[in-house]
Parts: sequence; C-alpha cells; structure tokens
Amino acid sequence: MEEQLRQIQEEADRQLAGVTDQAGLDALRLKLLGKKGELTLLRRSMGSLPAEERPRAGQMINAVCNDITEKMDALGAKIKKQEQAKKLERESIDVTEPRKHTPIGCQHPVSLVQDQILKVFTGMGFDVVEGPEVELDLFNFELLNLPKNHPARDAQDTFYIEDNIVLRTHTSPVQARTMTSRKPPIRIVCPGRVYRADEVDATHSPVFHQMEGLVIDEDVTMSDLKGTLDAFARELYGEDMRTRFRPSFFPFTEPSAEVDLTCVNCHGKGCRVCKGTGWIEVLGAGMVNPKVLDMCGIDSKKYRGFAFGMGLERLVMLRYGITDMRALYEGDVRFLSQFRED
Amino acid sequence: MKVPMQWIRQYTDIPVSDEAFQDQMIMHGTGVEGLENQNDAVEHVVVGKILTVKEHENSDHLHVLTVDVGEEEPIQIVCGAPNVAEGALVPVAKVGAVLPGGVKIKKGKLRGVESCGMCCSGPEIGVPACLYPSVGDEGLLIFNEEYAPGTDVRPILGIDDTIVDFEILANRPDCLSVWGVAREAAATLRTAFKQPDIQVQTVPGKMEDYVHIQVQDNELCTRYCARIIKNVKIGPSPMWMRKALHAAGVRPINNIVDITNYVMLETGHPMHAFDLAKVKDGQIIVRRAFEGEKIVTLDGKERDLMPDMLMIADRTNATGIAGVMGGEESEITDETETVLFEIAAFDRTNIRLTTRALGLRTESSGRFERGVCAATCREAADRACQLVNMLGAGEVIDDVYDCYPNPKKPQTVEASAARINARIGMQIPAEEMADILKALHMQVTLSGDALSVVAPDYREDIENEADLSEEVLRMYGYEHITSTLLRGATAPGTRNEHMQLSDRVGRILAAKGLYEIRNFSFVSPKWVEKLGLDEHDARLKQLAIINPLGEDTSVMRTTLVPGMLNTIALNQNRNNAAAMLYEIAPVFDVSERKAGEQPHEKPMMCMGAYGEAVDFYTVRDIVVDLLAEFGVTVDVVPGAEPYHHPGRAAKLMAGDVCIASVAEVHPEVMAAFEMTRRTLIAEVDMEQLCKLHEKMGHVRSLPKFPAVTRDIALVMDDKQTVGSVMTCITKAGGSILENVEMFDIYRGTQLEAGKKSVAFSLAFRNPERTLSDDDVNPVMQKILKACEEDCGAALRL
Repeated sequence: MEEQLRQIQEEADRQLAGVTDQAGLDALRLKLLGKKGELTLLRRSMGSLPAEERPRAGQMINAVCNDITEKMDALGAKIKKQEQAKKLERESIDVTEPRKHTPIGCQHPVSLVQDQILKVFTGMGFDVVEGPEVELDLFNFELLNLPKNHPARDAQDTFYIEDNIVLRTHTSPVQARTMTSRKPPIRIVCPGRVYRADEVDATHSPVFHQMEGLVIDEDVTMSDLKGTLDAFARELYGEDMRTRFRPSFFPFTEPSAEVDLTCVNCHGKGCRVCKGTGWIEVLGAGMVNPKVLDMCGIDSKKYRGFAFGMGLERLVMLRYGITDMRALYEGDVRFLSQFRED
Repeated sequence: MKVPMQWIRQYTDIPVSDEAFQDQMIMHGTGVEGLENQNDAVEHVVVGKILTVKEHENSDHLHVLTVDVGEEEPIQIVCGAPNVAEGALVPVAKVGAVLPGGVKIKKGKLRGVESCGMCCSGPEIGVPACLYPSVGDEGLLIFNEEYAPGTDVRPILGIDDTIVDFEILANRPDCLSVWGVAREAAATLRTAFKQPDIQVQTVPGKMEDYVHIQVQDNELCTRYCARIIKNVKIGPSPMWMRKALHAAGVRPINNIVDITNYVMLETGHPMHAFDLAKVKDGQIIVRRAFEGEKIVTLDGKERDLMPDMLMIADRTNATGIAGVMGGEESEITDETETVLFEIAAFDRTNIRLTTRALGLRTESSGRFERGVCAATCREAADRACQLVNMLGAGEVIDDVYDCYPNPKKPQTVEASAARINARIGMQIPAEEMADILKALHMQVTLSGDALSVVAPDYREDIENEADLSEEVLRMYGYEHITSTLLRGATAPGTRNEHMQLSDRVGRILAAKGLYEIRNFSFVSPKWVEKLGLDEHDARLKQLAIINPLGEDTSVMRTTLVPGMLNTIALNQNRNNAAAMLYEIAPVFDVSERKAGEQPHEKPMMCMGAYGEAVDFYTVRDIVVDLLAEFGVTVDVVPGAEPYHHPGRAAKLMAGDVCIASVAEVHPEVMAAFEMTRRTLIAEVDMEQLCKLHEKMGHVRSLPKFPAVTRDIALVMDDKQTVGSVMTCITKAGGSILENVEMFDIYRGTQLEAGKKSVAFSLAFRNPERTLSDDDVNPVMQKILKACEEDCGAALRL
C-alpha cells in the first residue's frame, strides 16, 4: 500500500505539473479525490488491512491527500488568477476612441463677466437691482439732471418709442427709480441691457450692456468712491491693479471722473491694447449731483452719494481678447463653445 | 476742436513740452484727443532756386533741371510740371524727404535720367491754394517772396505748428475758443492769462445812417450787437491769419469772412457779416417766422419755417435763420463796400429745436446749442473791429448797436471749505481753494470757512457748491484723491429674485450642454410674420421705435423665437454640425398697453437645438428636468403653436398653467428662416417659473420593506399616448403603486396594423410591511381594467 501511495503521489505530482486550466484541474481532482477517485478507493480499501496497521495507513493516506489538495488549491488559485487576467485582457477597450457626445455648454461671455463683477459688489454689500428697458424719459433723463433739449442728451443718441418713452440709454434710470422708492442708506448695482442709436461695427452696437453702482449715505466721499473702485479692480483683476481718475463731466455727478484701470493686458507696462499708456478707460464715475438727489426726493443737505458705471462689452473684449464686438451677438456656436467659467 | 499752439501762446506762456501740455490739460479737465505736429508731415523740403531748364531727351513733357538747394553743388531733378522757369523759387523735396501721407523721396532715374529730388506743388506738401495763394491747380508752387535756397519751407508756408485737438466737455462751451483753452491752460500751468487788449480805431458815423435794427423777441435773442465797417477793401487776409485758420481746419476765403471765422474760433462767438448794400431798405428785423413762411438758405435749399423759429429778416422776407444759417442775398462778395458785423446771443433750446426741425446743423448752430455767453458779445464785436483795423480791411464806424435789455446778473455761490473737503474726501486749506478759484477768474471772498464766489459770466456751469468742489479738485489734482473704504457694516448684498432665477437656469442649461446667446431686443417686424401666427395673436402687436437704425431693428420683440431661428439658421448655413442654444431675455408685450404707458416686459427663456444627438425627447427632457429643479412638475400634453410641427409639439402644463412648450419647427417656418436641418424649439415662461418656484422640502426616509415589481405589456392604438396610459395606471394603482416606468415599445408584424405594444414596469410598496401577492393582485386587476376601459389598452397575451 505504501508503494501504491507513493505511485499515486508521484503520478499526481507529474500530472499536476501538466495542468494549465480549471477543467484539467477539476478532472484530476475527480480522478484522485472524487467518489471513485484513486485515493478515495484506497482509503475505502483500508478496511481489509489488519486493525493495527489501519491508523498508520490512515495517516499516510491523509498526508498524501492533504499534500495533493494543498497543491491543487494553490494551482487552482493560480489558474483562477490567470483566467481573470485573460478575461480582463479580452475586455480591454481603446480608451482613445472618440464618441459622439454633448459637451458641457456655457453662459454667454457677457453673463460670465457680469456674474464675476456682481460677486465682487455683492461681497461689498451692494444689492443687485434691475429695471425696465423701455423707460420713461423722467427716469432716463429728467431726474438725472438731463432736462429736455439739454445738449448733454446729444451724447446719448436715443431711440424713442413716444415723446416720453425711450429705450433706456444707460442703466442710470434704475438708480433714479431706487432713489425715488428707497430710503438711504442705499448701496446698489444695476446691470442690464441698454440702447443707443449707434450703427453696428467692430466696437459699437446699438444694444449693449452696462453695470452701474450707486451708494448714498450721510458721509460718503470721493475717496470712498476711489476706494470702492480700487477694491473692485483688485478683486477682479489682481492685486497690482490701480485706478486713475481724470476730470470729466456727467450731468448727474459733480465732481465727475473718467476712471482708467491699469491695463489688464500688460499690467501697466504699455502695449497695443492701451496704446502704450498702461491705462485703459473703463468707467465713468462721480459724486451724485445734489440736484439729482433733490429731484429724487433725497435731502442733499443730509446725504451724499457716489455713482459709477461701466460698459460690460469692453471688459468682455479685454478679458477674452475679442477684437470684433459683433461676434458677441452673432451666436456662432464655434465662438460660444470656446468659453468656460473662470 | 483743433487749435494751433501758436495761437494759444498769444494768450499764455506754455513753459512745457507739447506732450506734457497735453497730459496736464487732460489731468486738469480739458480733454485732448491728440497732437498733430505739422512739422512731422513734411520733412527735408527746402526752398530751391531753378538754375537751368533743359528738355528731357526721351520725353516731350519732362524737363531736366539743375536746382540750387543751398548745398555746395546744385542737384539735378527731372520734373514734369509745366511752369518750370529759370530763376523761380520752388519747394524742393530732397532725397530722404517725407511728404504728407508718408511718401518718401528717393534717388531714381526717370526715363534714363538721374533725378535727385522732387520739385513740389502745393497739394503735394499739404498746402492748399487758400493758404498760400500762388499755388496753381497744376504745376509747382512758386514762392512770391525772395528766400535763400536751402531755407526750410514750413515756416514760410505756415505748416510748422503743433495742432492740439481738444475734446471739450458738454458743460464747458466757453472752452470752445482759443481764449477759453488759453484760460484753462494758464490755470493749469499756473502761468498768467494775457488779457486781450482790445482797442478799436473808429471813424465817426451814425448807425441809423446805415441800418435800422429791430429785435422783436428778446427772449429768443438775448443780445444783438452790430458794428458797421465802411470803405471795405476785400482781399486776402495776411499769412498769419490764413495759417491760424488753416491749422484750425477752416478754409481761408477773404479778409472779412476770415475775420468772422477768426473771431469765432478765438472768442467762441459765432459772427455773421452782411453786405449792407444787399440788406433791403437797410432793415434788419429779428423776429419769429410767420406761419407758412419759407426761406432759401445759403446751401441753396428751400426750407419750411415754423412760428417757433427765430429769423433775421428785412421788412418783408426772412433772410437768414438766426444762429443757424444766413441767406443768399447778403453774402460778402469782392464788390462789398459796407459790412455789418452781427454778434448775437440766442436761446440755446430754441436753436436746438430749430436745427432738429430743419435737419440743418452748422458750426454756428452747434455753438449756440451748447451755449454762447451774452455778456461777452460786445468784446467779440470789438475784437472783430480791431482785426479790421489791423488788416486795413475798412473803416470802423464809432456808433454801435447793442440790444441787451436783460443782462444776466452775476450769481454768488456760497460754499463751505469744510463741506467741499467732505465731498471730495480731502483736506485742502480754504486759502488754497480760494487761490485755485481765483486762478479760474472767479471773484472769491474768503471768511473763515465760508467762500463767496462769483464766477465769470462765461462760466454758466457754476451753480452750486458741488460745482465749486469739482473746480477745486480738478485744479488741485485728481491724482491726490485718496482711497478709503466704505464705512457702515453691512451684510453681503443679494441679487434680485429674477436674476437669481435666470442665473440658475443658465447654469443648469450650460451643464446640459447648451450655450447662451444674446440677440438684439429689437427686430424686423417681418420676422414675427414668418411664424404664421393667427391674426389675433398678441405677438403680432409690436412696439415700434420712432427713429430706428433700419427696418431690421425697428420693433421690440414679442417673442424670442424668430431671433433664435435666425441664429440657428446662421449656424446651419455655416455648416456647424450641431448647436444647442438658449437665450433668456424679456419680450415686450403691448397687447394691453395704452399710449404713454410702458410695455409689460416679460422674461422668457427660449431654446433652439439641432444635430445628430438631439431630438424632440432630448429637448423635452431637458425642459422637464429644468422645471423639476425648481420644484415644478408638469404634464406633457400634445399641442402646437402655428410654427410648430403639429405632430411633434407639446405643451408643458403645471396644473392649468402652460409654463413651457417644446416642439420641432414647422417645415414651412424652417423654409421661411432658411433653415436646412430639423430643429427643436422650446420656450419657458420665466415669469411663471418665478411664481411657481418652490423650495425643496424635507427628505423622505429610505424604505425599510422591499418593493414588488410587475411587468406588463399593453396593446393599444398607436394614437394612444403613453403618457395618458401612465396617468391611468398611476391613478388606478393607488397608494401602494410607487413607480411606473415604460421600458419598451413594439410596433410590427406580430400586431394588428395601427397598434403598438407598450411594456411597463410597475413597482409596489407598502412602507409599513412586506407586500404579498394578495395585496398586489387586486390592484393589478384594477389597473388592467382601467387601462382597458379608459385607454383601450389590453394586456398582451
């Protein structure tokens, strides 16, 4: 029997070495350890042995069984791993293969820039207010110290609906509406679409977007205006931004200023965009004319205010290097699909 | 406004470079658009003396000249001008010279003969005949005076100055003059303004012997000043005057006309010169136009007048429109012997209305519209007479007509230095403020903190303390404004509801792959007509602009659809494979508007999409999901607008409210908009969305007990909508039916024609316990019965 066991063991080792897949392993397991397997049969035949030999024979058979089972389990694990690897290999795909899909879209560049600016100003405590685009002459002009037939109205070529109804030429009527309806302190920004009778070209459009700001309180100064615009410029374009005020004239502010920003393209070194000056003109601003406060029902002896306004298209064009404004309104998806949020 | 530097220097010193002058003027309130140095346009052009003239051997019109240009050797020049002559002095552009327009002169050969320069005509060096009269239309400019060969031609021809192009602000009409900018320059540079010394030599005479003037309307004509010049000798004005006018962009004509233009530019007062011999009956009447009156203006046009317009007239007819344009009859000619100078001030609003009504704007009317100071009329009139003296253009009569019944009284503005400082955020001492204001020719009385200020007559813009604060600040320097932060603690600001909503809609749509567009809000009235709307549709009633740029931008849109379709068409016509676009904007509803009212501005969202990956269902689901994001659940109901494909259109109903529509565009509408590919269009009423928007509530806890699922296939008429069957199932299923999903539709040979089989998966659940077949079976029976009875949908066996 010992001899028989030794042969089985040797034969098993030889056959195990030749097994390469699970089926072979299963067949071998059946041949040796199955119901009619060689080792099973051998164990069964143990009954014919003398009683005193049985324990030793049992131990020997067990040892061989254990050894073979161990080896078969190890081989089984190995085969399983190999087959898994083969399966994964078969399932591999070409990850570079393109597929038809819908990429993520984007809001309009004017919306993107407007949103950035609104974030800066709401952070500084400004509420966002909107108003009608078809506006009364009263709010668009008269309450802003632009009486009928005033030559300063010439600067704003106006579309008329009726004698007293216009397409708003700026977002300032929202300021007038706010002043006539809210009590100070007031701290608002008003973004929106505005209209001027300009023919369309690379830098003009009869429909464009503005954002204006208004602060009214008891002790507001021109320095606060500068501080606010400095903070705005730094938030939006970086710490090295400065503002430069130049005297100007707007009927609704006194004193008035044109406000230049450090050129966002060259950061003040001088380039093609700023025509070598290092500055770009982007804002109009000033202290609210006391006449305007009085006309809007705010006591100009008690309150002062400042206001500022900017054209969004100019900021958009500077930000994205757009040279022809018409691209913004044309809606060609090849243009629009280049944008993403910052 | 173009002003030559030399003219400004007559009235103040400018001790800085041209560039520094420009910068300082800008920083202290006088805009400068640019500097033009005339010297840069013409370089290396000198006086040349023609020594010899020979015929060119290979040409019948060219000459070969030797010219002395002040160098050791004469140079040889081939020249084609007909008026070459030995001994003539002409401008010669030497090799390396620069001519206007960037032309550069090089050495070259003309038909085999070497030419080392170019003899120039007036136009070739930017000198028109009116500036230097000896210029012929063709041929060389020949100098009238003797100059040494080699002399720079620029000072001789009056093209050697720097011209400053000022941009004068609307509140400073006084600066539309040499005196005005010189005063500003003096205040800016802290130099002295040299007050013009106006002395007029006169001869005795009486106005009434020459003219009878009557101003009938002192409201519209606040001042009328006239002076008479007799024994006028019309001729060219001197070089210095021609040069100044030319540099300022005005064409020199003759001495009298040039004086009127020179005075206008110098003082800001428009002037008019009448040939008195042609003033009928010696009568000048300033009156309003008669009803139905007409006039032929200097430009030869007949114009209809209105009673609001102010006329200069003789006894019977209007001869000119006051402040706008003179009449033909009284023009100055070479034969003019007696001249009347008119220097007047007219009501600016009236002039503005007149120019608007007539569509006629002139230099003069532009100045009157912006405001001409009545108080300084006489000074300007005398300046004109002084120039007559200087030019020897005639004799000035000592009598003066001056009708100025209501002189404007000087206004005192009271101000506080402390308040000015508070406004501008500075600490400028009151004394320094007083000095600044005095430098601007204001009379200032300082008493402690109080400033009493009387501005000069021409500073009509100075009305209150705020105006003074600007004067102080701009002269002190805007660069000194400090930067301070706003005081008063505040919470962050908020966006209004509409903006929050549209911003969120935009972000969701962008995430879904859409790009935002922004179309113009005004459109062609024809666009909406292409939609084939019912004639009573409110969208056909559009708000029109009185003065549009063109028909394509003449009415306010009542729907975003035509603009979207145009944009889609543009993308299709440019062969863009796909586009998914949206726009959020108000439409202008005037269906219930009365005259004098604003339209209702109704915010809308419009989507347009085409491309391989897009069909009706893609767009429908984007819109349904979008609405669901705002807590608005909708029923999809078939229904089409006239511009929709009638079989591929749905309305999205939130209860009774139609909040949105989704459809394929009708083929006829596609054709009308020149679209080539099937396109989906959707509209969402943002106003309704804002109203129906609901914030999210509490979460549901996850179920503890398993669901029972049952799959069924129902055969039904192909026309029966899946949605209606699902509604029917949901209703019949009651509280334990948790979810219904459609997972397959079959149409084909195994079914009767006109039928479809729709497979649904139903999930039942009771939150309290596990459901048994006994619970579910009766409900399934109920569902199948309802489907059969209400939808004609039978279980497929």
